[in-house]
Order: sequence, then structure tokens, then C-alpha cells
Amino acid sequence: MRIASESRAPYLAAGRSAIEAGPSWLKRMRHEALENFLRDGFPAREDEAWKYTSLAALEKKSLHSPGPGPEFLPDGLPPGHLLTYGNGYVLKRSTSLPDSMLGRMDRALEHATAPLSRHLGTLAGKESALVALNTALWREGALLHLPAGWRVSEPMFIVRTITEEAAMVHERSLIVLEPGAEATLVELCNGRGEYWRNPVTEILLGAGARLLYVRLVEESAAAAHTGALCARQERDSRLDVLSLALGGGLTRQDIALDLAGPGACATLNGCFLAGGRTHVDHHTRIEHSAAHTQSREVFRGIAGGRGRGVFDGLIVVRHGAEKTDARQSSRNLLLSPHAEIDAKPQLEIYADDVKCSHGATVGRLDAGQQFYLQSRGLDAVEARALLLRAFALDALAAVPAGSLRAWLEGRVEAALAALAGASPP
Amino acid sequence: MLEISNLHVAVNGTPILKGIDLTVRAGEVHAVMGPNGSGKSTLAHVIAGREGYEVTAGEVLYLDRNLLELAPEERARAGIFLAFQYPVEIPGVANIQLLKSALNQVRRARGEAELDAMDFLDYVQTRLALVGMKEELLYRSINEGFSGGEKKRNEVLQMAVLEPRLAILDETDSGLDIDALKAVADGVNALRSAERAMVLVTHYQRLLNYIRPDRVHVLAAGRMVKSGGPELALELEKRGYGWLGVAEPAAEARP
Repeated sequence: MRIASESRAPYLAAGRSAIEAGPSWLKRMRHEALENFLRDGFPAREDEAWKYTSLAALEKKSLHSPGPGPEFLPDGLPPGHLLTYGNGYVLKRSTSLPDSMLGRMDRALEHATAPLSRHLGTLAGKESALVALNTALWREGALLHLPAGWRVSEPMFIVRTITEEAAMVHERSLIVLEPGAEATLVELCNGRGEYWRNPVTEILLGAGARLLYVRLVEESAAAAHTGALCARQERDSRLDVLSLALGGGLTRQDIALDLAGPGACATLNGCFLAGGRTHVDHHTRIEHSAAHTQSREVFRGIAGGRGRGVFDGLIVVRHGAEKTDARQSSRNLLLSPHAEIDAKPQLEIYADDVKCSHGATVGRLDAGQQFYLQSRGLDAVEARALLLRAFALDALAAVPAGSLRAWLEGRVEAALAALAGASPP
Repeated sequence: MLEISNLHVAVNGTPILKGIDLTVRAGEVHAVMGPNGSGKSTLAHVIAGREGYEVTAGEVLYLDRNLLELAPEERARAGIFLAFQYPVEIPGVANIQLLKSALNQVRRARGEAELDAMDFLDYVQTRLALVGMKEELLYRSINEGFSGGEKKRNEVLQMAVLEPRLAILDETDSGLDIDALKAVADGVNALRSAERAMVLVTHYQRLLNYIRPDRVHVLAAGRMVKSGGPELALELEKRGYGWLGVAEPAAEARP
């Protein structure tokens, strides 16, 4: 629905200052995107993809684009390359990699090397009004660009903190791994107070490239997070995506992977916790566009209190994508009678000779497992914690053992303890 | 150690146990036999404290305490162990993790210090040898992908680690080939002691070829219809349950 003229001011103001900067092709892109957002407005409940998630409250808020704010680093961050942002502005860069590989995207675009200007904005859905708004308003951005054959073994962390009340922050990341390059990247979103974060990450993997990408959402309980992640994979590349939604008032993730080259392989895993009045919605779309591509999708959701979870997972097998092998599993647990999770797996298959399967469950903790543990001397709370931990950590299978894995497990355990504590058995 | 008197238990309003009396003293091994549906597993679960069983009359004393008012974990910490007929699979929780948590809970309850990681491993090694189990199974998820024999052995391993005062083995012999049966029996025999009591719940006599009970009871249609020495088991093997005027219903009631 069109943005009413009296509500346009903050977007126009933010747009004016964002559009001022950058090369002319980028100005044109931003200008067009802003026009599209003002024309289309926020997605409405009538839109099937937004059936369960309402942005009406967000739309009514009077939000502004903030100036830079402080960083907030979580405890025990494992060693690695680090880039921190406060309210969308770069604060610190702590890495041995040159700026051109890991750094501010706006700077990189000034000396527009061909691949970047070619890739930016090509993956994120142009039909999405939220992505359009991001395209118009992102400020400094983050770029990860590894040349062919570059392998970075230590993980990279982009820590994004928002601390300003009534702020709207549109963060943009572009990740381009040239053929054979390898990396691990964690984008962590945290903050304080009431704000709206609308981040977009585009990932392009060249032939044989490998990326483990983690989006860790630990927003404040009053925050709204609407994120988009879009990836395209060339021949024989491997992408492991992990979406951990551990905190925030309203979280919506739209994740779209395109297995475009033969032999490409992806895992798309996620774990979300929805307690209190939290709302967490994942919409995923995996497209098998080429033959001999493989995808594995594992989502684990836990809702307590009056929490609400949504998993909508679509797998599309395009014409010509023979020998596709796709599996999807969505399992969900309810810890309270007022919690709710909707799981909707979908398959669209236009090719022959493919293997596709999906399964979705919503249930309660298994009383038989609980009794078994208690009959060995564990109390009800301990037994439940063990079972919840095992259930949630299923989603971390693609993260290899090591300091990153241990740290991520710790984040999930801490969030689980908070959720289980608030939803006693 | 265990005194059950006039125990009546219903599941979903249907009476299953209709006045059970059973006294088990320290050092004794009792066999509770009976046809399917007689209430054997119900008796085992009621002692372990499983939900869904309604005690409508009678009492169960364990070491002179009212057992029925204790939570399952309190019973375990007080020294009661149930070897499950169908051991539960728990993906994502390693066997060794459960053994360590359980042992430390039980030790704390006994007033003993918790074991550190090294001492715990040393201790578990000795117990593995006792039941002839592969160490590799310690690091797998609890019972996940275990064969029938491995699951039963794992139950006996847990029993060996926790050293209960009263062990109830619910159909631990069912579904085992002869080698697994012997291994399980060896483990159980190794744990027999003057301070420990055991109740073997079983349909068949064959386990009793390897573990000689002190007393044998026949449970049928929710009542103890006959008790005797080990010779009673042999007689049941020969003559079946029919001569006791007992018919075998098709399936056992579960909550």
C-alpha cells in the first residue's frame, strides 16, 4: 500500500542524504528504489507471504535515521577478523585483510571495480519493498570480497549494534567469493531499546567457493528486525547458512538461495526461540536451477509464553535441474499452552528424476524422554534443559567443531535458559 | 527394602493392578513372571514413578519411606533403578553426558563428592568391561541407532554405573539373542550383592537359566496368583500359565 504523503517525510529525509553520496549509477539505483518503496509501501497481511506477520505497528511509528552510536561486543567472541558498526556506521576494523577484501562498501564502490557494481542489487528481490527501502537508504555498508583461491581460515565477525531509540537502520552487506575462495562470516545483530533494523545481505559464490554464513539475531526485546538474505551459487560451490534468532520483539527473515551451477550444494539451517510475546518468522526459498544440486534444510523452533513462530519453507526444482537432491526438516516445540508455531513446507518440482523430501512437526517435549532422564536422577528442570539443548543444537550441525561452534552453542544455551526459565514446566 | 501391600493401580480409569503384595529384602533377587497384559510393566513403572498411573489403594514402602510421594528423580537418587523394556532414544544427548549427570546426582544424594572428568572416565571404563560394551557407544546419542542388544546392555551399564540398591529389570531379556542375553546376565550377576535387591520382570523363563532368583512370583490379571522358589519358573516353562487358570490377553495396557 502506497506510503501516505504525510508519512513520507522521514524516508525522503533519509533518502536525500543517502542518495547524495556515491557514483551516479548508485544514485540512480537508490532513487529508483526509494520511488518503488513509496509506491508499494510496507507489505500488508493480504500478501500471502505476510499472512502471519504484521508490520502495521512498525509502519505507524515515527522513525528516523540516526547518527553513529557505540558498539557492543558480546562476551567471549572467538578470535577472528572483526568489523563493528554502531547505528549502521563503521566503528572499528580489526583485521589483517585489506580494506578491499573486508571493509566499508561505500568506499569500495567509489573506485567501482567492475564486479561489485555488477553484483550489488542483483540478488536481493527487487519485488520486495523492504529490500527497496534498504537499497535506497543504506549508509556505509559492509563488503567481503575474496579473490579467486583466497582462503581465510579464521572466522570474520561483523557486529552490528543499534542503541538509538526510534531509529531505523538499513544495513547492507555484499559478499563475493571468487572461484575457489573460502570464508566463514558471522553477522551479529544486537542493540538496546526500541528500533527497527532492516538489513540486506547478498552473497555470490563463484565456482568451487565455500562459505559458512551465520546470522545471529540477538536484538533487544523491543526491537523489530526484518532481514533479507539472498545468495547465488555457481558450479560446485558450497554454502552453509545458519540463522539463529535468539532475541528481539519481532523478527522476520527472508532467505533465498539459488543453486545456479551444477554440483552446487547448500545447507540452510536455523534455530529460533520465541518467548514472552516474541514473534519470529522465517520464510525460506531454495531454488535448484541446475542439475546435480543438493540442499539440506533443518529448522528447529521453540516457543514459550505467548511466543509465536512461523516457518515457511519453499523448495523449487526448476526445469532441467535433474538429479536434484533436496531435504527439508522443520521440527518445533511448544513450551506453553499460549505459544504457537505454524510450519508450512512447500515443494514445487518442474524436473524429472529428483529426490525431494520434507517433514514438519509441531509438538511438546517428549514425556517418555523426560521420564527416562528423571528415572536416572536428573530433576525435571535439568532433564528439560538437556532435551531442549539437544533439540536446538540440531540446527548447528554444519558448523565444524571448534571455538566458533562452542561459542554459538553457548549463545543458544543462554537464550534457551532465559526462555525455559520464563516458561516453567 | 521394598514392601508393597494391597497395591491397586488404574490407567485411564481402568484397573490394572488389583491388590499386589510383595516384599523384597536386601540381597534377594525376585522374578515376577506372567503373561502379557498381566500388569508386570505397570508394577515396574509405578515403582519408578512414571506419570499416568493412578494408585487407587495400597502402599509402597522403600527403606521405610513412602515411595509413592517421591518424584522419579528422588527415587533414583534414593537408589531405585528401572531398566526399561524399551529404552528411550534421545538424539543429541550423549550417553556419557547422561551417565555423568546421573552419577553425580546420585553421589550427591549419597553424600559423596562428585567425580571429576578423569576419575569419572576411569570409573566408567571398569563398568564398561563389566557389561562387555564398546567404549565408542559412550559418545553416541543415548540409544540412537543402537541395536536391541546394545540398548539392553546400555541399561545394564547405567545400572552398573549408578549402583542402585533396588534394581527393577523390565523385560530386559526380551528381543535378545543368546549371546546378548548371556552378556546382560553376566552384568546382572556381577552386580548381585548382599546390599542390593533386584526384581526381574519377565515373560519367559530363559533369563532365569542365567540369573537364579531367590523367589518367583506369578502375576496375572493384576494379582499375584502364585509365589515360590526357583522351581516355580521351571514349572511355568514346562506347563505355561494355563494351569494357574490364567488366560493371555492380546496386549498389555499402557497409559
